[in-house]
Amino acid sequence: MTATEPTPRATPSVPTATATSAAAATLTPTATRRPSTFRQYRILLGKDLRREFRTREMLTSMGIYAVLVLIVFGTALMQASAGFDVLPVAGGLIWALIVFTSLLGLNRSFSHEKEEAALEGIMLVPLDRSVIFLAKASANVLFLLVVEIITLPLFYFLFLSGSALAATFGLAIVPLLVGTIGIAGVGTLLATITVNTRGQDVLLAVLFVPLVFPLLYACVAATSVALLGGEDMMATFGPAVALAAAYDVIMILVSWLLYDFIISA
Amino acid sequence: MTEKPNIFDRLAPALLVLGALLTTAAFILNFTSAPLVQGALLPDNGLAVIGGQVVTNKLLLSQKIFYFHMPVAVTSFVALLFTAVFGVLFLVKRNSHYDLMAKVATEVALVFILMTMVSGEMWERFEWGVWWTWEPRLTTYFILMLLVIGYFILRNAIDDAERRATYAAAFGIIAFIDAPISLMITRLVPSGAHPVIFRTDSGLSTPMLIPLLLAMFGFFCLAFALYRFRLRQQTLKARLDALKTNLED
Repeated sequence: MTATEPTPRATPSVPTATATSAAAATLTPTATRRPSTFRQYRILLGKDLRREFRTREMLTSMGIYAVLVLIVFGTALMQASAGFDVLPVAGGLIWALIVFTSLLGLNRSFSHEKEEAALEGIMLVPLDRSVIFLAKASANVLFLLVVEIITLPLFYFLFLSGSALAATFGLAIVPLLVGTIGIAGVGTLLATITVNTRGQDVLLAVLFVPLVFPLLYACVAATSVALLGGEDMMATFGPAVALAAAYDVIMILVSWLLYDFIISA
Repeated sequence: MTEKPNIFDRLAPALLVLGALLTTAAFILNFTSAPLVQGALLPDNGLAVIGGQVVTNKLLLSQKIFYFHMPVAVTSFVALLFTAVFGVLFLVKRNSHYDLMAKVATEVALVFILMTMVSGEMWERFEWGVWWTWEPRLTTYFILMLLVIGYFILRNAIDDAERRATYAAAFGIIAFIDAPISLMITRLVPSGAHPVIFRTDSGLSTPMLIPLLLAMFGFFCLAFALYRFRLRQQTLKARLDALKTNLED
């Protein structure tokens, strides 16, 4: 194409990455073994957990925020009649709570890596960039799960103590787990993108909510039927959980493939 | 730096005219040859008020929207496919021209998505009697529109050209994968609350199929012509900018 010539060509950044690792390989004697991928993963994950254990920054802010969202729910439902049963909409409310809270945590998960150029430091290490993705996503899963363990009993206490929960309510753990993994996976990819943009907080919400919609839809369906019970409950629960799991697998695989491009950009 | 536009650019004006002719022909045939369609039978011989009229089972003039609505929707999907393909090409080849092509394809997609939404709104109002319903296909398309709008917000939020191109390519790919999943999920997960009241029979007779296909082909031509015009304009603009910076140095 003749018209393309004057447009500036983007310089590939992948060769520089391999150059760094090649330089590192020549500098260090071959006697020192490179740590295994799993060990790199463990170190990166441990770093995030240790940081959280020392500052308690994420868990406090996410926990307080979740309680505030519960207050907003309470206010929204306050004018309903005294006998109003929250149970049919409980699944939806729980997922609204999780989505909002996760947005807060995801925003933070990369913003502190920008301070003191911490991310550049990690990038200098000759490792597979996807490991950074997996470690960060795992940390986000763990934080979200801790917040869920604290806030969901609170949700029951505040909204559902008068309702007759179905015997199958324990099954709700399955969509909660599958959904949390998917949210953390897609969210980590998007948080890496938005941390380098103007107005990162808003942008993450704008990209994250539509992208996570299918997962949200399936998880709300599965959680609701698990709480409500009924004979044909499995007819909805099964496909919903299966599709949510399929979303997890596809999206995390794609995120994993794209991550190297994104973090190197 | 030759001035000669390539073959697609020379074809574009012809395709624009062809697309205009085809869609006009489809529009005329739509009202002359395609028969009116029976509306859905309301349950238990009931009556309903739709658009200020009491209806039972009438011949629906509003069904004519379909001949516009569906081709436009299909065209928007095709444009988004190009966004994803150019995104992959950019990530592999690292040529900023692919980023420009992906951006222009998404712009064309947004135009067609907005047309689909507007015609779809009319359809809902006069066929279903509501302005909005969380029906699977509607919901999915709404999400798709938000993803495309998000794509442009993302582009506007990044200054560095190479980073913008990479992020936009990645988001374009992931959004294109997300769209079919949301359609599949809203279809396959049963939601107990909503009865199925929407007809999905697609047995189209020949007089109905002809305007539909003409319109679809016409919109493809129009979309492609729009894409080439915009791409050429953007390429020339990039060249002009490059020349300007050269001149300053």
